[in-house]
Amino acid sequence: MSRPDRVVAGSFIVAILAAFGLFFVYLRGGQTQLEGALLFLTLGGIGTGLLVWAKRLMPQIVDETQSRHHEPVSEHDQEAAAETVMGGVGELKRRTFLSRLLVGAAGALGLAALFPIRSLGEVPGDTPFFTKWKRGSRLVDVGGNVVTRETLKVDSFTTVFPEGSVGSADSQAVLIKVQPELLQLPSDRAEGAPEGLVCYSKVCTHAGCPLGLYLAADHELRCPCHQSTFDVLNGAEPVYGPAPRALPQLLIEVDDDGTLRAMGDFTEPVGPAFWNITDGPA
Amino acid sequence: MTRRTAEARLLSRILRIGLVLVIGGQIVWSFRPSPGQALSQTAEQGRALYEAGCSTCHGLQAEGTVNGLSLQGSGSAAVSFMLTTGRMPLAAPGDQPMRQEPAFDDEQIDAIVAYLAEIAPGGPAVPEVDTSKGSLSDGAALFLNNCSGCHAAAGVGDSVGGGRIAPNLMPASATQIGEAVRIGPGLMPRFDEENLSEQDLNSIAAYLHWLRDNGDEGGLQLGRVGAVAEGLVAFVVGLGLLFLVVRLTGSKV
Amino acid sequence: MISKKLVEGVDDRLDASSFIARNLKKVFPDHWSFMLGELALYSFILLVLTGTFLALFYVASPELTTYRGPYEPLQGRPVSLAYNSVLQLSFEVRAGLVMRQTHHWSALVFMAAIVAHMLRVFFTGAFRKPREISWLLGVGLVVSGIAAGFTGYSLPDDLLSGVGLRIAYSIAQSIPFVGNWLASVFFGGEFPGTALLPRLLALHIFVMPLAILGLMSAHLGIVWHQTHTQFKAPGRTEDTVTGTPVWPKFALKSVGLGFVTFGVLTLLGGLFQINPVWFYGPYVPYSGPSPSQPDWYAGWLEGLLRLWPNWEFTIFGVTIGELFLPAIVVPGIMFTLLAAWPFVEARFTGDHAWHNFAQKPREAPVRSGLGAAGVALMVVLFLAGSNDVLAKYLQIEVDTFNTVLRWSAFVLPTLAGAITFIVCRDLRDRPRHPIGRPGAMTVRRTAEGGFEELHDAADEVRSP
Repeated sequence: MSRPDRVVAGSFIVAILAAFGLFFVYLRGGQTQLEGALLFLTLGGIGTGLLVWAKRLMPQIVDETQSRHHEPVSEHDQEAAAETVMGGVGELKRRTFLSRLLVGAAGALGLAALFPIRSLGEVPGDTPFFTKWKRGSRLVDVGGNVVTRETLKVDSFTTVFPEGSVGSADSQAVLIKVQPELLQLPSDRAEGAPEGLVCYSKVCTHAGCPLGLYLAADHELRCPCHQSTFDVLNGAEPVYGPAPRALPQLLIEVDDDGTLRAMGDFTEPVGPAFWNITDGPA
Repeated sequence: MTRRTAEARLLSRILRIGLVLVIGGQIVWSFRPSPGQALSQTAEQGRALYEAGCSTCHGLQAEGTVNGLSLQGSGSAAVSFMLTTGRMPLAAPGDQPMRQEPAFDDEQIDAIVAYLAEIAPGGPAVPEVDTSKGSLSDGAALFLNNCSGCHAAAGVGDSVGGGRIAPNLMPASATQIGEAVRIGPGLMPRFDEENLSEQDLNSIAAYLHWLRDNGDEGGLQLGRVGAVAEGLVAFVVGLGLLFLVVRLTGSKV
Repeated sequence: MISKKLVEGVDDRLDASSFIARNLKKVFPDHWSFMLGELALYSFILLVLTGTFLALFYVASPELTTYRGPYEPLQGRPVSLAYNSVLQLSFEVRAGLVMRQTHHWSALVFMAAIVAHMLRVFFTGAFRKPREISWLLGVGLVVSGIAAGFTGYSLPDDLLSGVGLRIAYSIAQSIPFVGNWLASVFFGGEFPGTALLPRLLALHIFVMPLAILGLMSAHLGIVWHQTHTQFKAPGRTEDTVTGTPVWPKFALKSVGLGFVTFGVLTLLGGLFQINPVWFYGPYVPYSGPSPSQPDWYAGWLEGLLRLWPNWEFTIFGVTIGELFLPAIVVPGIMFTLLAAWPFVEARFTGDHAWHNFAQKPREAPVRSGLGAAGVALMVVLFLAGSNDVLAKYLQIEVDTFNTVLRWSAFVLPTLAGAITFIVCRDLRDRPRHPIGRPGAMTVRRTAEGGFEELHDAADEVRSP
């Protein structure tokens, strides 16, 4: 046997053995790495065998030349073809009134065909402007436990929701405790951040990712997606990255028994902007 | 004798006396009582170590200096964490603390912790973390919700901006995990018992330790960083191997 | 198996003899760089095969169930039926994980092969008349591939891909006037919506594969009909094609390459972990893990989003969201330019002739320079998309890296383009390969007193 012959034979034999191996591994319950390796040997064996066979054992016809069979289309033929096509088109165009009506019908059908898109789902209406937070909503954590003034120490944070809507995508908020004297909120916002407890929307105003990073020593919230960074002490104004707007704040107050309650919905619509965000709800 | 040797002998005598004075002074100095109380033996050992290795930056009374934070109220958890992970002592003030071989052995660390508990009381104590009591599924959920934003979904760490890196958690011991959660070292926020309970710590530590040896049924873990590594492998290994095959199979003309 | 009787029987019924004879004898050029497209084709075939297997197990439902499988850290956790089905496939179905991983690796390599193939076609000018239609179909394949990949890796309903869906929703929202409406209607309400997973499935296993199959068939059919381009060599002309007949050699080589491709992809599928969705956990809207990247072929978009400045403006009460420019307008311009390239180039060069020769990149220095600039820009964008991972491994500051990348987005393409242009032009103008050139330079003193370099020094010195 010549050398290529041996390579081809060997490849196919490896493929056969590996296929049996696969069968065996499969019977024994399967194992991902073995399956991958044996598939590689089976498929690669067949492939290598074929490649070497084709390249080395088959007649070396690599320089056969053929015409590309491109006869430049004669003007006469092109004219004839164009006339055939345009002749048919002309038949339609000849009846101007009817063909315009046809176009109108097609257009109307096209427009009508767009309507099922509307059936796909709900129109947004006012929903982007509101979340589930209401005046008096108690703050609860992911486990549904009520959050009180004692829950957090300075430099700590947790994710909060309005009671009854744990896991709500638009209502999610992050509650942070800082040293009260460090906060630099305007007076109307400062009232909603008692005892150094400040609460912001957790939905990044850039592309909507949840803000998972709190860099406590720098008092910054950072987004894992595109690194937008917000200054917690200063109304969550963006200080780095592509986020264009501050995080909406959730003004909170401390109840008589120490529980934290929202004073209303967020100060602005949450999340990234949409075209009529400045209009406000209808 | 010659003038030279006389001078030499005088010099050596001065040096020897000086040496005795210095060493003796150190020894005497080290026995001075701290304000108020007498120290236990461990704490005494700790004092010597602290003053030699830490006080330059953190102050003799752990009050802090321009080079190092005050340790008052930082807690035994903080001291233990910094020393057992080798983050402290820093080679130079201003360096970023990073996990490395600890400068002290366990006994010495216990001593320093004991000493600082005396002169800088308060703050989180070293937590008792028992991974065998933890629940893997609770730990995974807690970790994903609270920690994965900085430390990555599989705990391998990620950069958090400004040249700082939330570290890979695989080398951390259960106690170190608990300590870090309670004190919030560096940029990290802290979580006390109201936020993450003792059982929560057990679960998180159990999960992180489970991750050390489990979860890679699919094969080589590629750093557990996700699509970046996968894309690189697709090009280098996948397309690379196929490119080689194609080069060998096709002609060059 | 294939007997003469069978062939005659088919021929008898379909009148196929001349068709068979002509096509089996058709020659195809053999150059290695012409095989890159085949890599994409075979990756796609494996995608369909493995994908069919996966489709038999996947459940496209966001309804919650309790996980009770063998993966301990998720025991007793609420997960969607979709996520549950993917975990079952990965851990409880024999060969499930190797099939799933092979499918995902095939997608990554499919896109990589398409890009390699597209670059080959671009830099050799193989898109010129009459092959502009093939080029347009190819651009369609790139876009379809990205869409297929995105819908596919979002199916497991895990935390990481769910964050990606949220970004897609926000991108849709940023479109003026219709954005919010489109996003809400398609997702079935405010994010995360109620309708998404079954729709992603319909797109991923039906619409996109049909589109890719259709575009690919047309693409291959046209290549077949128009005959393949080839490089210049002695004996070759514009009107002829030189190579290997389809049957048996070329076909068997191609099939062999196909099997080798399958082998490499299954090797990856078994030995290299990809998209370990169990680490990310089921999707919940209030968690965001890092690092957070899409599959590689969307990395350029990720880079655009990370580098783009935080510009947002309101004109006459209409707010143009920050995402609109980098995520809709810029990609729109990029793909339009890509698609229009054959026509743009023909316009600028005034070259409307029929071309069957492929060029060496040096023969078209302007095109090669612009292409190099484009590639350099994409490299910068891919680096930007990976910035936090790179920062971790290279121990550099992410924020400084971003600043460097922003400058690089302008500087590197300019440099790469200029250097490529100059190198190509120089290589083109020298009749001999530069490495083969002797190190010395021969100069001749002119009658006016200056000096000039002799290019064909050997020849000129020989002749008096």
